[in-house]
Amino acid sequence: MATSEKIIYLDNAATAFPKPPEVLEEMIEVYSTLGVSPGRGSYDLSMEAEERVMNIRRQVCQFFGGSDPERVIFSYNATDALNTLIQGLIQPGCHVVSSRLEHNSVLRPLHHFSEQGIIQLDLVPFSPDGFIDPMNVVEAIRPDTSFVILTHASNVLGTVQPVEQVGAICRERHVPFILDVTQTAGILSIRMGEWGVSAVAFTGHKSLLGPTGIGGLILSPELDVKATRFGGTGRDSRSLIQTQTYPYRLEAGTINIAGVFGLSAGLHYISRQGMEKISARELDLARRLCDELNSIKGVRVYASNRHDPCVPIILCNVEGMDPEDLSTILDGDFGIATRAGLHCAPLVHQDLGTSPQGGVRFSLGPFNTAEEIDRVLEAMAEISRIR
Amino acid sequence: MEGVNQDSQDNDPYRQKVRMLAGREIPFDGEGFFWDPHQWSEEAAEVLAKEGGLTELSETQWMILRFLREYYFQNGRAPLNRQIKQGTGISLMEMEALFPGGIKYGARRLAGLPNPKTCS
Repeated sequence: MATSEKIIYLDNAATAFPKPPEVLEEMIEVYSTLGVSPGRGSYDLSMEAEERVMNIRRQVCQFFGGSDPERVIFSYNATDALNTLIQGLIQPGCHVVSSRLEHNSVLRPLHHFSEQGIIQLDLVPFSPDGFIDPMNVVEAIRPDTSFVILTHASNVLGTVQPVEQVGAICRERHVPFILDVTQTAGILSIRMGEWGVSAVAFTGHKSLLGPTGIGGLILSPELDVKATRFGGTGRDSRSLIQTQTYPYRLEAGTINIAGVFGLSAGLHYISRQGMEKISARELDLARRLCDELNSIKGVRVYASNRHDPCVPIILCNVEGMDPEDLSTILDGDFGIATRAGLHCAPLVHQDLGTSPQGGVRFSLGPFNTAEEIDRVLEAMAEISRIR
Repeated sequence: MEGVNQDSQDNDPYRQKVRMLAGREIPFDGEGFFWDPHQWSEEAAEVLAKEGGLTELSETQWMILRFLREYYFQNGRAPLNRQIKQGTGISLMEMEALFPGGIKYGARRLAGLPNPKTCS
């Protein structure tokens, strides 16, 4: 029997699991009939595949509140999308504003260029309850700031950042605002146009319930991103210069068409079920888990005010126990899958005082139940008694 | 970038440090795990156990260490959580309580298994 058949899976912030069977069925069905290179050939099937992909760009654009489906660019995941953006936007000597809440998908590319002396970087802090202060962004922006890049929600604490305020600040100062919606897409409604967001970067395999290997960008009409990868686009093949029109400028090589169909199937599923309904249920369970973990002696929950805007992510530790041991016990003795460590967000843990061991993250998904939360609480109470 | 490398390099699990232990020079990583599982010896485990506050290792503790090592060398990797339970007949909570430092820094380190370094 596969391990996954009996576990309580609480690592949805890493990847949603299981995927709804309808999503996998739709993906396989469409890929079985249209899984050819889209728009590269003059045969009907290639044209039909291209038309289908274009319809999915429209679907994605609408989902995120974008304005131009041709500015929906598919990538392999959010890290890939963020690298495309960061590398395509920086100029030697430019200044970038980000935060200490970021995932390494943002921190590492920025750190790389900062260490090389190519960019100057300011990271705004976050409060003990897990939020950045938009006024710190105001103070960090300079005349030579190229862009502001922030996560919508912390992948460690689950706290949702005041991005509408930051968007207004950036719009007023004509500074592009890049939003990493890895942890919020599929949980919160994202209105990039209304919020003054210049680009969102997303992944398909978390709360959008698609497969791994698919993500993307949606660019506002005002933002230009230079190509940093080059290759075939199926357009203007005589020219040795990269296609300049979107989306092909940023899509060198054949896209992950199976992943694109899977992403679309995930969006269909969310639409059928109702995103608000799915997320309200997850947030209710997370709130209860958080409140009751807080009442267990020896358990420390970080940023535990669940009345603040948040996604269903909870970070905790058991006093006197290494978080990796806690996660090991939860898995081995109770069949509960969690994520221990630094969650690829080292600065968050540094500032929380949980570095270098980190903490244990519980992240809920659409298939978690109240009974599972009961079992998690019983397990945590039992474990906390041995320390 | 400010603040990225503030953690002490002394605890860097990717940094090798050599120390004298049970009469031999043995390389460890920054978190005190054997760099090479083949460098382990029962004498070295006893010294590390004493440093951790155990006057001597009990039969149950030795059984766990031997299971971890045998599994590692037979399979080329540490046992999965459920395999530890099946192989030792004790729960992971019991194992946590048996070793100062718990499962990772206690049992696994004393057994000379490599540092798991998952998401750390």
